[in-house]
Amino acid sequence: MKNIRIWFKKTNTARYISHLDLSRCMARAIRKAHLPFWYTEGFNPHVFLTITMPLSLGYTGMRESMDVKLLDDDYPFEKIISGLNSGLPDDVQVFDISELVMKPSEVEFAEYQVELETEDSSALRKELEDFLSQPELLTEKKTKKGFKTIDIKPDFEGMKFDSSDSKLLKMNMILKSSNNGGINPRLFMDLYMKNKNIELFPNVIRLNCFDKNMREFV
Amino acid sequence: MFSKEVEKVLLKVQKPGRYVGGELNSVIKNKDEVDVRFAFCFPDTYEIGMSHLGIKILYSLFNEKDYIWCERVFAPWIDMEEQMIENNIPLYALESGDPVKDFDFIGFTLQYEMSYTNVLNMLKLAGVPLLASERTELNNIVVGGGPCACNPEPIADFFDIFFLGDGEDVDLEVIDLYRECKKQGLSKKEFLIKASHIPGVYVPALYSFEYNEDGTIKSRTALEGAPETIEKRNCMDLNNTYYPDKFVVPFLDIVHDRAVVEVLRGCIRGCRFCQAGFIYRPFREKSVDTINNQCRTLCETTGYDEVSLASLSTSDHRQLFDILDTLHTWSEDEKVSASLPSLRVDNFSKELTDRISSVRKSGLTFAPEAGSQRMRDVINKNVTEEQLLRTVNIAFSNGWSKIKLYFMIGLPTETMEDVEAITKLGQTVVDAFYRNPDRPRGGKGVSVTVSAAAFVPKPFTPFQWFGQDTIEMFEEKQKHLKESNTSRKLDVNYHGAETSFLEAVFARGDRKLNKVLLEAANRGFRFDGWSDCFSFEGWMKIFEDLGIDPAFYANRNRSFEEILPWDHLDYKISKKFLIEECKKAYASCTTENCMEKCSNCGANCFKGGICVEKHKNMV
Repeated sequence: MKNIRIWFKKTNTARYISHLDLSRCMARAIRKAHLPFWYTEGFNPHVFLTITMPLSLGYTGMRESMDVKLLDDDYPFEKIISGLNSGLPDDVQVFDISELVMKPSEVEFAEYQVELETEDSSALRKELEDFLSQPELLTEKKTKKGFKTIDIKPDFEGMKFDSSDSKLLKMNMILKSSNNGGINPRLFMDLYMKNKNIELFPNVIRLNCFDKNMREFV
Repeated sequence: MFSKEVEKVLLKVQKPGRYVGGELNSVIKNKDEVDVRFAFCFPDTYEIGMSHLGIKILYSLFNEKDYIWCERVFAPWIDMEEQMIENNIPLYALESGDPVKDFDFIGFTLQYEMSYTNVLNMLKLAGVPLLASERTELNNIVVGGGPCACNPEPIADFFDIFFLGDGEDVDLEVIDLYRECKKQGLSKKEFLIKASHIPGVYVPALYSFEYNEDGTIKSRTALEGAPETIEKRNCMDLNNTYYPDKFVVPFLDIVHDRAVVEVLRGCIRGCRFCQAGFIYRPFREKSVDTINNQCRTLCETTGYDEVSLASLSTSDHRQLFDILDTLHTWSEDEKVSASLPSLRVDNFSKELTDRISSVRKSGLTFAPEAGSQRMRDVINKNVTEEQLLRTVNIAFSNGWSKIKLYFMIGLPTETMEDVEAITKLGQTVVDAFYRNPDRPRGGKGVSVTVSAAAFVPKPFTPFQWFGQDTIEMFEEKQKHLKESNTSRKLDVNYHGAETSFLEAVFARGDRKLNKVLLEAANRGFRFDGWSDCFSFEGWMKIFEDLGIDPAFYANRNRSFEEILPWDHLDYKISKKFLIEECKKAYASCTTENCMEKCSNCGANCFKGGICVEKHKNMV
């Protein structure tokens, strides 16, 4: 028996599927493909799976992962990939499998792309860069103890803008993200919208996860 | 799939997964390559609609045809509805995301009367004119089927076609006719007249009614050569009737999240309150092989680990143990368990529970329906107190300590003693527990819940002439029921009489009620089956404003001679039989079930199922 990490994308309609619903969807695909994964023992056996870094509702995930225990060490990974994909909806698709190198708890950062549809991406970029250049970006953050004012400037100041597409502004950023919490990639846009009193519809994509030394999560 | 506009509101509503589609096994086609687009609408939330078997069967059946694309539509919950109205998003189908008003057919399944306002609200959200007479083109044909189609008169003005009986054959015949009419460039009226000659098709616009001064029906006229009566359709050979080999598998946790295989249609029992027991006759079973294969295929294609053997009364299948044993030959290896939707008091056994692993120790539910033996004889619920005690003792000896019992109050001839008998029976079950030497020890002892619903008389039952108890009578009985309980081990509760009153109005209503529903739609009524949205005062205000007395429909005793609003719909249950059954009920006489003896209800005209197997000479 060995632990393996299954890598998948969560896109389009699947963005609106919660963590719990995704787990059940994966469990059904595993059963449907008759994969030799470890099931819990007991009256009501269910496949043992851990989704490593749950993704917020509405976000696209390009490199999501879940860990399972493979009973047959020689079972070919390609067969697992094709088996799972035939039992998964089109918007949840597995693209790779690897053996575990890092523990999920080692994840400290995530890379996001936030996309905004706009009439003129250069103009919006200028607006947002101006907004970002303020000395402080204070916002309310909900914590267990209530609301707390935090400055998100240090988190977002390294963000990179890409306005090469005149109708779509892209912003790339690396933010703190671990199982103990992190910085929501929407915070900056939410603050901007609140300040300008406008409504925009940012599309958030999680591209990758990293450990504390910015090594890719594997 | 969903539009950009929908995407903008999805994160503002609860459970956005209801509105996005994209589930495993959902069917995507190219709309330019199909001739007929069918929007299959379930007038309730996604979680309820996706649990319904009928929609699964017809969705797959229609999509088997390369010229039809059938998509699903559910009622948006009130938070989504608000967003849709605010942002001018019309009601759309989940597969393509296209507006419902682009579809050739808009089909509703009519499962319960309280969903009628949702039907109208969905048409409203789709931007489709509510009245059939205002939809003049050959598109947006609004059709309905399901149990409420057996008296669709209160919603007749909104529909173009109702399908009576099993939909598998008749629906396709009508779709094919539409396709042909469309090719020939015929009008909607020409199409509807042609359709009215297909057995099982009821075109309400082709029938007109005249009323007496007292509000009862004086006469009914069939127009444009439409048949005088419309016969329901039946699929007689279930082993060769279409059944899906895959289901759409939702992401969300729906009400019944499992594979479902229908094991039989109809019911042998003839309980006199039960509409399903009459309109789905005759009793027809699938073979062990068919059921086993369908269970296995569905589990394979969906990945579900539970399969439910569904029907009106699954334990009446004569090969039930064979079925369960055959399933067992593979289900354990595949980690699949079988479950039954309900259990009967009179054939519960250890042999049965041993075979159904999903019957957890948490609790068992039975429906004696009435408290006293006299009352059970009136309704022809042929179970006895001895059978109930035998059953609960088996349950107690095998580790159960929680029992739920379902009853009805307001049944014909009911007295306060009959109401008290409900609590007494509950108490007898409590006492049986403490007398049972093998009962589970420790814990909190026994817990018995008695739940009493308010009886709603329905068309095509022997009680179709019966005036329902008034709300005041129900409330008095409910109070008495509650007060007659003296035990802490017995929990007595009941369901609202107000909803049952409205159900009784619409279940046996006539065409005069269409304007009530239209007004309800105009006043924004929807989700009336949900207590969060139901306003009894609101409904009473509508009746008052329109000068319609709801008691005329709910509480009035009809004579056997009266022309009933559904008399032209022929479910092959003879009125003579229903009258005899009604008279026997009032005399507390029971009737044998179809296995024991044929009672000549009329269903033997289908020349199949139990009618042929048991009584060859009767056919």
